Parts: sequence; structure tokens; C-alpha cells
Amino acid sequence: MSAARDYPLDCWYVAASAADVGSELTSRRLLGRQVLLYRDGAGTVVALEDRCAHRALPLSMGSLVADRVVCRYHGFAYDATGACVDVPSQDNVPFGARVASYPVREAGTYVWVWLGNPRRSAGSAVPRMPWLEDPAWSSLGGELTVASGYLLLHENALDRTHFAFVHPDTAHRGYLEAEPPLKVEVSETSVSYARDFPAGPLTAWQSAATGLPPDVLCVQRESGVFVSPALHVDHMEIVGPERSYRTVFVRAFTPVDGSTTRVLWQVARDYATDDALASESLRRVHERTMLEDQPLLEAIQATLDRDGAPRPVNAAADIASVKAHSIVRRLLEEESPQPQ
Amino acid sequence: MTASSTAITTVYTEHVSELEVVSRTDVADGVISLLLAAPDGGELPAWTPGAHVDLLLTPELTRQYSLCGSPSDRSSWRIGVLLDPASRGGSRHVHEALAPRSRLSVRGPRNNFPLVGAPTYVFVAGGIGITPLLPMIAEADAAGAQWTLSYGGRTRASMGFLDELAAYGDRVVVWPEDERGMLDLDGILGRPQPDALVYTCGPEGLLQAVEGRCAAWPAGSLHVERFSAKPVDSAAVSTSFEVICQRSGITVTVPEDRSILEVVQDAGVPALSSCLEGVCGTCETAVVEGEPDHRDSLLSEDEKAAGDFMMICVSRANGPRLVLDL
Ligand code: FES
Ligand code: FES
Ligand SMILES: [Fe+2]
Repeated sequence: MSAARDYPLDCWYVAASAADVGSELTSRRLLGRQVLLYRDGAGTVVALEDRCAHRALPLSMGSLVADRVVCRYHGFAYDATGACVDVPSQDNVPFGARVASYPVREAGTYVWVWLGNPRRSAGSAVPRMPWLEDPAWSSLGGELTVASGYLLLHENALDRTHFAFVHPDTAHRGYLEAEPPLKVEVSETSVSYARDFPAGPLTAWQSAATGLPPDVLCVQRESGVFVSPALHVDHMEIVGPERSYRTVFVRAFTPVDGSTTRVLWQVARDYATDDALASESLRRVHERTMLEDQPLLEAIQATLDRDGAPRPVNAAADIASVKAHSIVRRLLEEESPQPQ
Repeated sequence: MTASSTAITTVYTEHVSELEVVSRTDVADGVISLLLAAPDGGELPAWTPGAHVDLLLTPELTRQYSLCGSPSDRSSWRIGVLLDPASRGGSRHVHEALAPRSRLSVRGPRNNFPLVGAPTYVFVAGGIGITPLLPMIAEADAAGAQWTLSYGGRTRASMGFLDELAAYGDRVVVWPEDERGMLDLDGILGRPQPDALVYTCGPEGLLQAVEGRCAAWPAGSLHVERFSAKPVDSAAVSTSFEVICQRSGITVTVPEDRSILEVVQDAGVPALSSCLEGVCGTCETAVVEGEPDHRDSLLSEDEKAAGDFMMICVSRANGPRLVLDL
């Protein structure tokens, strides 16, 4: 299917975990483009189009020699700006020999890349995620590729009404007499939800992670925000008898193409920071919820691809995802003319 | 556990920031600029050029002002306010009551005047209408676009932000009326440019003149920001019709003397609103079925003809029934 692109290019997206980018050449498919990533001698991450200007051989098959990417086929060498600076078979470099180079920002755990109009990147900051860097917090994470478009993942992250059906064990709130109201708040570029739960017992994983006994009654607050097309962040707070236990679940959604998304996730917490059991419990529950959602999102995408995508019927509680769609629609309308 | 059948109530609101006036500067005769920030220095919501916010001045007094600082400054917002003798009280309240350390609630931001990417822009400002254009110009310039600004005003002394604009050199043409007469709109817009977009903000007379000059331009070229409603067509008759709120699964009847917004809100359907007069865009709603009778001052003629969105605070139905995304 060749549906119109539904992800804006003028946006910072996570290209990789910082730990996964080293001095060897790696290639990643991001937003329908093949991108070469590496760290130069000074440790700065470089992102280039992974396609030699000469005969389209992926540059990632070549090698990095003295901060130059040397193509495996005929040895064209490129600098970090994407300019071809050496052609072994002749003295001068052919006019126009260059590959695209993309603005990069490294911030804590993530390497962000801007694949749209490079001149618009300067005025846009990558989202701040203090919990991933604050030494009073600890975090763990991973990566997952889902065969569905990134908007389905955003919808899923903003959607609280599927928990009872898809995640009954992790999200059990059997003690509730009524569902607390869902507060949805919008601003120009973001949308968030929040719910406060009255005092109730903890689930097994919550008690394992915090070390609180399961029968102590705690008020809980959860909220989540569509930060940008590239990022969703959830916050969960358990108000314990002595202190609050805060967990932040970060999901960077990077479209690989229109129907595949790479999810780079992190879970940060401000409690039991060097407790391996807490880490294990948090890893397991977050991986599990993502794996519970994945086959559903993939089946939806397969249906959309196979049978088309007429306007869906939304329910009242889908207001956050309706708004996220309208934010994305506007970003696409406003997008500057893209370089080829 | 079996899935609960308990209904979830949704409370839908726009973000409200509790802010403090950091500084107040006289930028021209009768024009001040205010810098607003969170008292704890926290991060403010993101915005893009052309966005505006609501200052919730008193329970009865809400006014819209364009953000005119830099979107990359996430810790403060700048607005420019003209003391308008003919004002309904908003600008007077701002001029009289807001000083450094004053607290106020600010709703938004939202944007009905977004800068669409283009190779060339023609910016036309009249007076205080310069404010939304300031961040647009900065963005267009940074993106490497071609652009010009024609900035008209009564007198040079009444025109704010001239010092900032001086940095752009002769791309900015300043037209104080007492020195050069009225803006030369024929010269600026007389010849349609196929790949240029026109952005204009200013007094109603200027906006209508620009709309007239742009009639010959390609559809979608002209972008206008208004802060007060267009003169209304008093001949328009209002009839009663039915509205189906699709998401909520609720059907209501809108009588001739009430708005869609009032009726759906009474029925408990979450819907946002601010100006209630079709200028701010807060109540914009997608139309699933049916033909709206547009009475707002916001949508362009093409957008009205497309009928995909409507402002439910003022607009009505052409026909017996509308299905809305509510
Ligand atoms: S294909 Fe790269 S040098 Fe020839
Ligand atoms: S509430 Fe402002 S346009 Fe409807
Ligand atoms: Fe889920």
C-alpha cells in the first residue's frame, strides 16, 4: 500500500540508543529512509544517508577511516557533512558528489535525528527527560519493532479503555466501585490524560517493585502525554505511607516506514534504585504489556493495509487520540517543502 | 477479572498555566510587551509561530493575545498589548492591572494561524497585528525562505518592535501613515505569486483590503488572523436542526435561539470553547456528515466550502441534521 506519509519529517525522532552507536558503521531504516550512524573520533554521532552517491551501494558496507566514510565499492570517501572529499580514481571530486547529512542531538539515553528540512531543526529542541539523567533515578529499557504504523502506537498509549481487556492482570483495579474520571487536557502541540485512583491495594508487580506490602492502601495517580509525534511519556505515582513512588515510562516511537514502528522504551523510577528485583519486576511488567498490545496493533495494521482505512468510529473516551491525530494532521499540513 | 462495564466520565479541558509577569516594557505609544513565566521557572507548553493564548483576566474577561517571543524559549512567553481606547475592557485591564509580579491564568496556547512551509512569504502587518508575525518572520528566515514584511501604522512612534525588525534590513518596509500614507497594497499584492503565501494581521479594514487584493491569488495563499468577529450578515436566519454527537452517541436538537455548543455542553458532551464568537478556534469540530452553515470569522472560503470542520459556537446547519465528531 502506498498511503500518504502520516509522520511529519520536521520533528526530532529517536534514531537509536546512545549505547548502540559506536565507531562502527551501522544502518537503520528511519522514516522511510536508510540512515548511516556512527561516532567520529571525538565521540560525536554523525547521521548520513546510507547510499553512496556513485553507485548507490550502502555506505554502511564500507569502513570508517580517519573520520571519513569510505565506500566499499570504489573508495569514494565522505566527511561528516556528507561531502565527498576523495575519489581514488581521479584528482578532483566530481561536482555534486555528496550524500545527505542529518542534524543529530545526543541527549542522555537517546540519539535524536532530524530528517526533515535541516534549517528548521535549529529552532526546535529535543524533549527534555530529566528522569533519565537524574542520578536520584534509575532506569532500564529496551527496543521493540512493531509491524504497525506509529499512530496506532500513540493511540494505544493514550487509550485507557483497553486495559481491562488487554492487560487485565497488570491493570487490575478490582477494588474500584466506579471508574475515576479521565481528565484529558490539550494544548497546541500536545495532549495528555490523567486519572487519580482512590486508596486501594497494590498489584503484585507494584508491591514487588516498591517493596510495599500488597495490602497497604495507596492512592495512585497516573498520567500520560503525547509529547510529539516521536514521543509518549507515562507517569505513575503511588502515594505510600512514608513517601511517593514515581515511575516514568518513556516510549519513543520512530516510524521505520508507514506500517512499521521501532519503539525505544525506558522505565525510570525514583525508588529502590539499585534493587535488582525491582528492576526485574518493572522490566517484566512493561515488556508484558507491550507484548500484549503488539499482536492487536499488528492485526489492525494488517487489516488497514489489506482492506483500506475508512474513518473509524471513535468513542467518547478516545478524545485524546482524536486530538493527537489532529495535532499530527496540522504538523503535516505545515511542513516546509522537504529537500529531495 | 472480567472487564468492568462501568462508564468512564471524560473531563476535557485546555491547558491553563498559572503565570507571573516577569517584566513589562513600553515598546511604542500605547503598546506594552509583557514577559510571562511560571513562578517556579518551570517549562511552558510548546507552541509554534502564529499561536495565541487566552489571558483569563477576571471571571468575565478573557482576551486573546498572540505569542510574539521565540518558540524555542520554553520558560517564558511574550505578548504585546495595545491600549485600545475602543476596547471592551481587556487591553485597559492589562495596561492598568498587570505589572511585574502580577499573577494571572493563561489558557492555551492554540494556533489558528500556523505558518505553512513555503519557499516565499509576503507578510502584511497593521499596528499591533505585527505580534503574531514576529515569530513567523524569525522562523521563515531561519528556514531559508524568501520573505518581505510590509508594516503599516499610524505614526512611527505608535509602531512596536521596530528595533527588532531593523535587524532584517530592507526585507522589512515600515509604513507610518503620517509619513508615507496608506500601505501600498497594490504594489505589495497586485501581482499574484504562485509559490508565495500571504500572512496578514491587523485592523479589520486592512484585513478586508488584503482579502480583496488576494482574490486573484491561488486558493489557499492567504492566511488571516482576526481577534474580533467579522461584521455579521444580519439577514441570516437561524432555524432549528438536529445534531448527532458521534463519539458520545447522543442526539440533541438545537433550537433557533441557541448555539450547538451550548446545547451539546448541556447534554454533557465534552467540548471546548473560549471566545464564543467564532474567532478563536477553540470549539473547532470535525463534521462527519451534513452541511454546516459557517458563521465564524476564522475559516477561509475554501475551508468553508470543504465543510470538514466548523466552529460550533456560532455556526449552524444548512439542512435538518449534522453528524459531528463530538
Ligand atoms: S559505489 Fe561507492 S564508490 Fe562506487
Ligand atoms: S469558541 Fe472561539 S471560535 Fe468557537
Ligand atoms: Fe496497552
